[in-house]
Amino acid sequence: MSQIDSAITTANPIYKPPPAWRTTLGMLWRDKFAFAAACILLVVIFCAIFGPMLFEDVATRQNLRGRNAPPFDLSRGWLFILGGDQLGRPLLARIIVASQNTMAVAAGAVACSLLIGTGLGLIAGYTTKTASQVIMRLADVIMSFPSLLLAVIVLYVLEPSVGNLVIVLAITRIPIYLRTSRAEVLEVRERMFVQAAQVMGASTKRIVARHILPVVAPTLITIATLDFAFVMLAESSLSFLGIGIQPPEITWGLMVSQGRPYLTSAWWLSFWPGLAIILTTLSLNLLSGWMRTALDPSQRWRLEVNKEKAKND
Amino acid sequence: MRAFLGKRALASLISLLGLIILVFFLSRLTGDPTSLYLPLDASLEARENFREINGLNDPLLVQFGRYMADLAVLDFGDSIRRSEPALDVVLRAFVWTLQLAAITMTLVTVAAIVIGSLAAFHVGGLFDRIATFFSLIGASAPDFWIAIVAIVTISLNVAFIPTSGTGTVWHWILPVGVLFIRPFGLILQVVRSSMITTLGAAYVKTARAKGVKNKSVIFVHALRNALLPVITVIGDQAAALLNGAVVVETIFGFPGVGKLMIDSILQRDFTVVLAAIFVTAIAIFVMNLIIDILYAVLDPRIRY
Amino acid sequence: MTHKFTTLAAALLASTCATAAFAQDSNVTVVLAEELDLVDPCMTSRSNIGRVLQQNVSETVTELVPGTGIQPRLATAWEDRGDGTWRFTLREGVTFHDGSTFDAEDVAHSIARIKTDAIVCEIGAKFFGGMELTTEVVDATTIDITTDPAQPILPLLMSTVTVVPSETTMDAFLDTPIGTGPYTFDEYNVGQNITLSAYDGYWGETPAVTSATYVFRSDSAVRAAMVETGEADIAPSIALQDAVSEDMDFSYPNSETVYLRIDNGTAPLDDVRVRKAMNHAIDREAFVGTILADGTLLATGMTPPSTIGYNAELEPYSYDPDMARQLLEEAAADGVDTEAEITLVGRLNNFGNVLETMEAVTQMLQDVGLNVNLEMYEVAEWEGLYSKPFAEDRGPMMVQAMHDNASGDPVFSMFFKYASDGLQSGVTDPKLDQMIADATAATDDEREQLWSDAFAYIHEEIVADVLLFHMVGFTRVNERLDFAPSIKTNSELQLSQIKFAE
Repeated sequence: MSQIDSAITTANPIYKPPPAWRTTLGMLWRDKFAFAAACILLVVIFCAIFGPMLFEDVATRQNLRGRNAPPFDLSRGWLFILGGDQLGRPLLARIIVASQNTMAVAAGAVACSLLIGTGLGLIAGYTTKTASQVIMRLADVIMSFPSLLLAVIVLYVLEPSVGNLVIVLAITRIPIYLRTSRAEVLEVRERMFVQAAQVMGASTKRIVARHILPVVAPTLITIATLDFAFVMLAESSLSFLGIGIQPPEITWGLMVSQGRPYLTSAWWLSFWPGLAIILTTLSLNLLSGWMRTALDPSQRWRLEVNKEKAKND
Repeated sequence: MRAFLGKRALASLISLLGLIILVFFLSRLTGDPTSLYLPLDASLEARENFREINGLNDPLLVQFGRYMADLAVLDFGDSIRRSEPALDVVLRAFVWTLQLAAITMTLVTVAAIVIGSLAAFHVGGLFDRIATFFSLIGASAPDFWIAIVAIVTISLNVAFIPTSGTGTVWHWILPVGVLFIRPFGLILQVVRSSMITTLGAAYVKTARAKGVKNKSVIFVHALRNALLPVITVIGDQAAALLNGAVVVETIFGFPGVGKLMIDSILQRDFTVVLAAIFVTAIAIFVMNLIIDILYAVLDPRIRY
Repeated sequence: MTHKFTTLAAALLASTCATAAFAQDSNVTVVLAEELDLVDPCMTSRSNIGRVLQQNVSETVTELVPGTGIQPRLATAWEDRGDGTWRFTLREGVTFHDGSTFDAEDVAHSIARIKTDAIVCEIGAKFFGGMELTTEVVDATTIDITTDPAQPILPLLMSTVTVVPSETTMDAFLDTPIGTGPYTFDEYNVGQNITLSAYDGYWGETPAVTSATYVFRSDSAVRAAMVETGEADIAPSIALQDAVSEDMDFSYPNSETVYLRIDNGTAPLDDVRVRKAMNHAIDREAFVGTILADGTLLATGMTPPSTIGYNAELEPYSYDPDMARQLLEEAAADGVDTEAEITLVGRLNNFGNVLETMEAVTQMLQDVGLNVNLEMYEVAEWEGLYSKPFAEDRGPMMVQAMHDNASGDPVFSMFFKYASDGLQSGVTDPKLDQMIADATAATDDEREQLWSDAFAYIHEEIVADVLLFHMVGFTRVNERLDFAPSIKTNSELQLSQIKFAE
């Protein structure tokens, strides 16, 4: 680290800038919260990829007589550090295994709704009135279509699989991105620099990509990171109603909803998976906050220069 | 303006019609309700009789035609479950939902805008860190956790706050409190994010460079511009509440439209589902219209 | 809207000095798990409706009392006049809540109403399906009821029939039921509460409870908390994990039986060894005191021990995975495809911990080598799989179900669950059909013996299904009440039986 610091602070004429990834890491290290967030996300991603391979068997082994084992008791082995669930299975192993399905559903749904919603929103904000009107009224329809009914229909007619869940959850979340991006476009397109670009003959595509998207992105990303939690919890309530993922498949949402009746007697059943959801969301949000600072030329100074200057500003 | 409203009303009417048609046919995909309303041991004749009484025997298109004809005179049909007009069932619940949504969203909006913009003013400061941390937890914690923990900690110890139900003003405290948390966290984050962008924007810098020392002037100007995405998200959260706050209604025994909708869907009470969607859709359409008008108010450059 | 806001404002003012509406001294508040869709007396066989109305607002002709059998209620005596005709002598001096006098015409009208085609009355559909009912009013206090085919247990059947005044409409459900019971139905604030209050003109003893309020909360933890804070007095059916107070929580057998219905008609489930193996594969004991409450009984028959003909000599299948594997090997050696995928269908929210129970059962079946795949469904879909007509291409399937029989006689269970034509029967066995028919027509000791034989035949010889548990329910009762729940609490909660503790 000190290397980088000195490299930046010494104004050496033959100084070569360090590779980009090192600068990035350096900036990440500087923001301790973002650094912790990145670590947590790495762990989650690792679990999502390798978890089921490593712990599938342990996570499904039942032991009725050892159910609801309390947490922080190592006598049953380190896998029981978070306690046992209602069928005596180690919660830690289950959370690790469940991360795969959870991430698949959440990332899938959020990414789909973000891309489709933003795309439609940009079109609605930047095209003819008729097209815009059609898209916006369509958003109204989706917004008023109860997501649960949609879930019941799709999952009644089809299987409650990860893919179908992604479809259901993605559709219901489209309007928020659509409306947000469109509202921003309406405002941004009237700004001076966009008008200027237009006068200079830039193509619509170019204006949207180079001038409008960067302004719209931070808000959309903020919503998207929080939607991660929303989608995981929505999936949880679908499981609770019997139309989401069903055992023996597991997700954090399913664990949360299965632990619900025990909230007053064995809190750890739904607490740990709930905490996993919170930590993931928190990390995503902190990291995205850091990223926007790091990527925004006008904000970047907060992470680069020494702290004294930042404080004095 | 009048032309805009007229066009908008017409377009919304078409959407509403489309929505009703969509829901009518899609909801029938979820199966025949007969077995849900009769005892398991009911004979095949009894089942046939039930279908006959409730008009489930006719071809789907005939049922649809009949429904639309009734709808034209605003007759939504009777609820199978309650054997009373579906619209009555829905309106009774919707009144509660509307109050709950209005109270909660007002509180959320005020709190989130004030705290969110204060947090944005000193990014990375202690206040910002604390506000961010707690709002993120609030936005991502399972709501039933908060609800049950609130009941077993607060109402078991504070005599005048009841666990659940309706009746006095105290009954509103826990439901509103629990409902407040998630939209508050989400909207606060959006306010903060949007304010950071705006405060970093060229014109604010210019204002600062020009020597506008008064922080509050900068603050107010920035806020006005930052609010655009914020009201969109407020709209989204309000729409979610208008569709019903299922968990809160279920746990607190609050007679709103969310639980009604879920029960009606699970019980295949199609007339109530349709009437509920009709009512909430109108509310959501109106709200979206208000939001669109607000855009233009906040930023006069926006035209429709 | 405006009205509601005014109410809210008024409530705001009023409540600044008042605290939450806590129960008055002789008022009892009951917190139920689900709201009532209908409040018509002809629907009281639905347990959520019966719990409010039956014997409180609407009384039945006879009454089934746990432990003692059929007792007089609105009828004081009955006799079998042969050829399917029974004569009931009715109580004198009984009046309805609207002031009219109760007589035989009312009984005749009530029976006609449960069998009408204009509305679907649950009592008629559930207890009087497939029989002709004719009534003849002899005089004001005497009525002859004839059934075709003859029903030797007609007095028991009449314990399900709630009586309404003879002016009651046949064409629509009632929203304000009128009965002869000790309480009048005052008000139903949909979504909020139902209130009853004592009826001055009641023919029987004046009850200690003068009024009752019913409220609805679907979350068990909340119901339990409400009794704890004093907001409610009785919370029937709270979950096992919420029943943690020795002083307030009562457990009682709730007449529910959980079992796995096996479709005996498809391979490999058509082989008795496979079915036996399934029975030996499940460690029933392991559930009791863990996922299910202490006091849960291992089932050997479809109906609980309180029913006549319950065969106490039958032993539950032992937990013997080795035996199960051996049976499967034998079957496989005879060419039975024991590897075939078997679908196990469960019903969500059927009882507390149903999901855990089904996950554990699935694991146990898989452990002996059966290829079982668990699918949980919400009630609508589940019902389609449980009841006939079965789908043609269903494949080998087992369905988990919970059956309630608090009536004291197996007749309400056996035909539907085991006869070849029974709607939920997975068995086609002419010998069993005959046994059920014989027992249904028999009386007294012979009836008891025949039912007992049928239970043994099903359990030991054809091994028709996997019988699991007779369940236990929990009710939380405020200590200010002197009230002990019984097997009937599931379907009926008589306010007049509640006393206040000294």
